[in-house]
Amino acid sequence: MNEVAEARITRRSRTLWQSIKDFVAARTISTTGILLFLLLATFLLWPLIAVLIKSIAGSEGFTLQHYKNFLTEPYYYQSLINTLILGILTTTVCISVGFIISYITTRGPRFLRKPLKMLSLLPLIAPPYIFALSLIILLGRNGMITKALNLNWNIYGFSGCVIAQTLAFLPLAYLMIENSISTLNPNLEDSAANLGASEGKILRSIIIPLLTPGILKAALIVFVMAISEFGNVAILSGRTPFLAPDIYTIVTGIEMNFNMGSVLSMFLILPCAIIFVIQNYLIKGKGYTTILGKPVAAEPRRINPAILIPFLLVAILVSGLIFVTFGVVGMGTLTNIVGVDNTFTLNHILDWRSNMALVNSLRVSLLSGCFGAIMGVLLAYVIVRGSFRARTALEGIALAGFTLPGTVFGIGYIFAFNRPPLLLTGTMMILVINCMFRFLAVGMEAGINKLNQLSIEVEEASLNLGASTATTFRRIVLPIVFPAFMYGFMYVFMTSMVSLSAVVFLVSPGQNLASVFIFQWANYGYIGLASATTYKLIAIVGASLAIIQALSRWTGLRPTAAGGGV
Amino acid sequence: MNEESRPVLVLREIYKSFGAVKALKDVSTEVRKGELITFLGPSGCGKTTLLRCIGGLTKPDAGDVFLDGERINDLTPDKRGTQMCFQNYALFPHMTVAGNIGYGLQVHKWKKKRIQERVEELLHLVRLDGLGDRPIDKLSGGQQQRVALARALALEPKILLLDEPLSNLDANLRVLMRASLREIQKRVNITTIFVTHDQFEAMSISDRLIVMREGIVEQIGTPHEIYEKPSSEFVASFVGYVNILNGVVRHMGSETEPTVVSTELGDLEVLGSENDIEVNQRVFLIIRPETIQVRPYGEATEINEFKSTVITSMYGGSTIKYTVDIQGKNIVIDQFDPCNVGIFEIGKKVTVVIPQNVHILKK
Repeated sequence: MNEVAEARITRRSRTLWQSIKDFVAARTISTTGILLFLLLATFLLWPLIAVLIKSIAGSEGFTLQHYKNFLTEPYYYQSLINTLILGILTTTVCISVGFIISYITTRGPRFLRKPLKMLSLLPLIAPPYIFALSLIILLGRNGMITKALNLNWNIYGFSGCVIAQTLAFLPLAYLMIENSISTLNPNLEDSAANLGASEGKILRSIIIPLLTPGILKAALIVFVMAISEFGNVAILSGRTPFLAPDIYTIVTGIEMNFNMGSVLSMFLILPCAIIFVIQNYLIKGKGYTTILGKPVAAEPRRINPAILIPFLLVAILVSGLIFVTFGVVGMGTLTNIVGVDNTFTLNHILDWRSNMALVNSLRVSLLSGCFGAIMGVLLAYVIVRGSFRARTALEGIALAGFTLPGTVFGIGYIFAFNRPPLLLTGTMMILVINCMFRFLAVGMEAGINKLNQLSIEVEEASLNLGASTATTFRRIVLPIVFPAFMYGFMYVFMTSMVSLSAVVFLVSPGQNLASVFIFQWANYGYIGLASATTYKLIAIVGASLAIIQALSRWTGLRPTAAGGGV
Repeated sequence: MNEESRPVLVLREIYKSFGAVKALKDVSTEVRKGELITFLGPSGCGKTTLLRCIGGLTKPDAGDVFLDGERINDLTPDKRGTQMCFQNYALFPHMTVAGNIGYGLQVHKWKKKRIQERVEELLHLVRLDGLGDRPIDKLSGGQQQRVALARALALEPKILLLDEPLSNLDANLRVLMRASLREIQKRVNITTIFVTHDQFEAMSISDRLIVMREGIVEQIGTPHEIYEKPSSEFVASFVGYVNILNGVVRHMGSETEPTVVSTELGDLEVLGSENDIEVNQRVFLIIRPETIQVRPYGEATEINEFKSTVITSMYGGSTIKYTVDIQGKNIVIDQFDPCNVGIFEIGKKVTVVIPQNVHILKK
């Protein structure tokens, strides 16, 4: 056939197809979008609104009395100040150390990179309050070091909280900073060095300014985690007041003062919301796109020892502490009462009481992992490919759910879902829903990154060949976003296994979760049982990760965030 | 020895391996003052590694690098007096144009006023007057390239190292930037090493070329020498298309008398060659497509004339490219000015004239 005629026919059939396709595609995507919006609004916005309402609810109508009580009571005031200082200190140290370690693992001696990276990321598979356990074992009232040195001092109080929170959220800070540092073009540093800049000058004038957006992002996440994930703080605070554990005590204790709990929650949200807004609307768009081409893989620059050696010392000290932590918690697991009665025992491991909680955790985490990842990818697709206006709102709500304090979502869920038609309190379902909605933003961001790399023409080609939007999504889009799906699954699964701050409000007696179980027993002082359960939890998370790795190697589909995510 | 031909840079027996891959094997060469010399070769030939060895970004396993008579192997990049321009420009994205150009001066603690003057001077040199306050990402690719150049020139290095500097530009801009790069280089009279895999770029910009292959220097010479008198089959075909004929020398010629080589096409008469060849020597004949002529079919009676058939013909405006069949051997011919010479259809019989001055290579 004549080529010109052929081309003309193709073009005509294309325009016909185009209009049909556009019609179907627009409706499929926007319907999904509306559905997703309703879900996000119900499970992320409504709980927050419920907390707000509770904080101003009086016996008759609305009142500001609870806020007045908060502001006139020095205890609460002190609690707020302490929380802010804790957040700021933890964030500062976490970010600095995270930066130093990522500098070493991307630019330091090659043989140290892998082991340092592994050690720094190790705490991710353990509950964050593993550090509270190890600090009690070492420096508690009967701690090994306390007793050996006959100290009058112990770890309970402000300093203990800062140390534990710093070590707990260091992996997160490290992961995010390493992610952005590894996208820096190494030739920038080569150029600066070639022009005579010293190591310090390169750090100050090139690396740190370029990393600032990434560092601020990491700082926000760490700050929120530090003030809201209160496992460590509740165990170690002693008599020092902090907002998050206070909310827990007020809401679940004898007082059951929901109104005051909500006021405290509002003050916990406030700093986070301020940073969230600054980060998303003031700094956004300030990121520097690397200009042209990919960084050329080349021999690493030799780092000046004046910088390298102090950096190395910090990195080794911190990873040493992490190593020691896992060691002493291991000792706690295998001895009667570590530090007091060091006889070897398997009793803690064989203790049946933790098994039910572990099984529940696994069940909840698997479900929330699957649903969270599916929804994350769907959200990503709708956000990238949809054309309706609420797209940015969708992304914003999902990110807010991820960024705002878990504690608030804990009590928010109690208020929001305790009566029909949304009666969920006391069920296993509420745990699954809470975990999946709070953490799905990670998979969503990874999906957005992946989809932005996939050109729309590939999808159009599929639609052109006669496939429906749904088929296109299943056959073309899914395989491409699958790594993002896996990444989202892994994140939701792991975080659901170990996180505490929200689910601690939602578990009911028959359905305890492992993280809550450990927290409760550690709080009562049963270090052995808490340690053993921690190790079982680590083993389950570790084994699951290994299975996913093996699966992904087998299928050739690796979970990736495609340079983004957290 | 005059100033112009004095070697500034001497490389002696450089070796470099990356694991099992031998990137450089016994590379020795000299670079003369003020010249623009190009390292040319396919990717993986070691040209960038060699450049990085000179710039101090890669440490050679063995061998010496001398700059102005001083051994610089152990000096860090900033102490060498070399300045590297990267393929991706490596401009600091958070600084303005002036901030980038003045970075090295600021590091060397120049006074603010002097920095400003020097930056103005450099902006003028690279024709970016008035753009000092622009952010980097508001520049076109060609402008970014010139900022990178100005930044590298700011500290007046002894040698400028350019790693595929034009490869990120589109085709038209490349040609323009090539000319402007050469012009700036001449004006500043800076010794420059240029790395590229593009033979046209290399030939049009360089004083001399170093053709490399698998870590070895294949040939050093002016673009003219490399093109006309390649030292190997590889060099011959890397710097442009060639017809290669296998032959045996039948009769040795002299100043006045042509040498006779018998080839797949038949006997060819070939004029003067410096190669030390002898009778019965097996040789390659290197024949560039544009040196061969096509004529309307007629009796092929003259020397080096052959009867043939056109197999393919590709019209390209200023030239037309034919493939013709001579005795079962395919020969590629570039005919200039096809409008006036006439176009031969596929299948048509033609007469082909092989020139007498072809390059002979010993086998």
